[in-house]
Amino acid sequence: MNDETFLNERVQVVATFGTGLNPCVPVKFKRANGREIEITEIGLRHPTIQGKRTVHMFDVTDGGADYRLEFDTERLTWRLTMEGDRL
Amino acid sequence: MRPEYNTAEPTIVHIDLNSCFATVEQQARPMLRGRPVAIINRRTEHTMIITCSYEAKAKGVKLGMRVKDAKILCPDLVWLESDPAKYKFVYHRLMSIMQDYSAHVRMKSIDEGVIDFSETTAKIAGRSIVDIGHEIKQRLWDEVGVAMNCNVGIATNRFLAKTAAGLNKPNGLDVITHKNLREVFSKLELIDVTGIAKRMEQRLNAVGIFTALEFLDADPVTLQKMVYKSICGLDWHQRLRGWEVDKRDFPLKSAGRQYVLEEYKMSREKVLQRLHHLAEETGAKVRSQGLVARGVRVHARAYSHEGRGWGGSYWHARHMSAMPFFSNQAIYEQARKLFEHAPEYVKEIGVTCYELSEPDDSQLSIFGDELARDKAITSSIDSINARYGKRIIHSADTLLTNHNVKEKIPFGSTRYM
Repeated sequence: MNDETFLNERVQVVATFGTGLNPCVPVKFKRANGREIEITEIGLRHPTIQGKRTVHMFDVTDGGADYRLEFDTERLTWRLTMEGDRL
Repeated sequence: MRPEYNTAEPTIVHIDLNSCFATVEQQARPMLRGRPVAIINRRTEHTMIITCSYEAKAKGVKLGMRVKDAKILCPDLVWLESDPAKYKFVYHRLMSIMQDYSAHVRMKSIDEGVIDFSETTAKIAGRSIVDIGHEIKQRLWDEVGVAMNCNVGIATNRFLAKTAAGLNKPNGLDVITHKNLREVFSKLELIDVTGIAKRMEQRLNAVGIFTALEFLDADPVTLQKMVYKSICGLDWHQRLRGWEVDKRDFPLKSAGRQYVLEEYKMSREKVLQRLHHLAEETGAKVRSQGLVARGVRVHARAYSHEGRGWGGSYWHARHMSAMPFFSNQAIYEQARKLFEHAPEYVKEIGVTCYELSEPDDSQLSIFGDELARDKAITSSIDSINARYGKRIIHSADTLLTNHNVKEKIPFGSTRYM
């Protein structure tokens, strides 16, 4: 089975910006339906180039399902682009 | 030729990421850890698995198996389409970690690389090479993630270091020296030896070599005159004894791209659009290495008479030009002409440029103006694509193919990473 659902949903994100190898750490996000999701682990963060913009992909989990958040560094927007099936 | 074992201190470290693509996916998606995961290149049940996690391998899933067959063995298999950007990121992180220890780093493929300390032993003076191996494993966990396991192999040459890296998967660290060489080989099957596949095994069997230990003990004359029938036999004799014979680079001889069509009995117009797309990607590959080509080869695999099954006839054609070329249009024009003789319905197509060489601008051409114009346009397009992303500018003919002919990660060369 493939457990991914692809989305393109603007979300509100609380993130901290610190120092070190991964300075940007999303902590929680709020979906369009009002549901708040607390991030328990960032699996991987990798940058991609989309046109002239750099978009950082954050693969995260809340301990029940995996999500992909995309942070557009030019527009300073966050989008939820993938949700894995809840276990 | 040195008949004895190499007794020097091991200075070659081979790093191999375990089930690379599947492990990266399990790192990125914590909910997949501990579950059988398979990575595929296309979202269909008929596609082949390119990598699978250790949990899937434990249930009998193998590389090259079709998804629908794998699901019979492992009904809870999770299959994901490959995500090249993610794998490239991990590749660059691994390479960066390795380069912190030596300038002599050579990535062998997207998931493995070699650090050669033979010329920098002073740099690691006072530190054991095994400690460095453990430190690299730790840094991979710290800097990429806790699910990223790798195997480390340490030996006196590249071949034995790779063999060591394969001894205890996953997450092992092994050293092969002249002291334990025979013990290691006594536990290996002949087919387990890197570089020995089914056919070579048969050739070795034919001269009475049935085990890895017998291969190690084989005399150089037998290997040279009867098995390999070339100097390769002597190389193997040295390689097995821990002497370095693989420290060399091979020049790029050809560059190409192939694609399995997404539709059954696709119209010729659509096939040519995809051929055009492949020609553009091939051109970009050739130019990225600063080379020009003189030959174009196209191939196609037709459907078998029974219908959709694999095993259809293979067709290919090639053309060698008097003048070198480099532009996408020049490659496509030749590929298109060659493709006029291809079978009517095909399921796989490919374009390859060969006879690659450095551009020779010293010789004046009567087509000088035309070539200069071609070069200026192509280099401008390449610069824009390099700055704003691959295929930002491409031919209108391939406007509809971007969605299907996606970038994939090739195994083997990392020249284009």
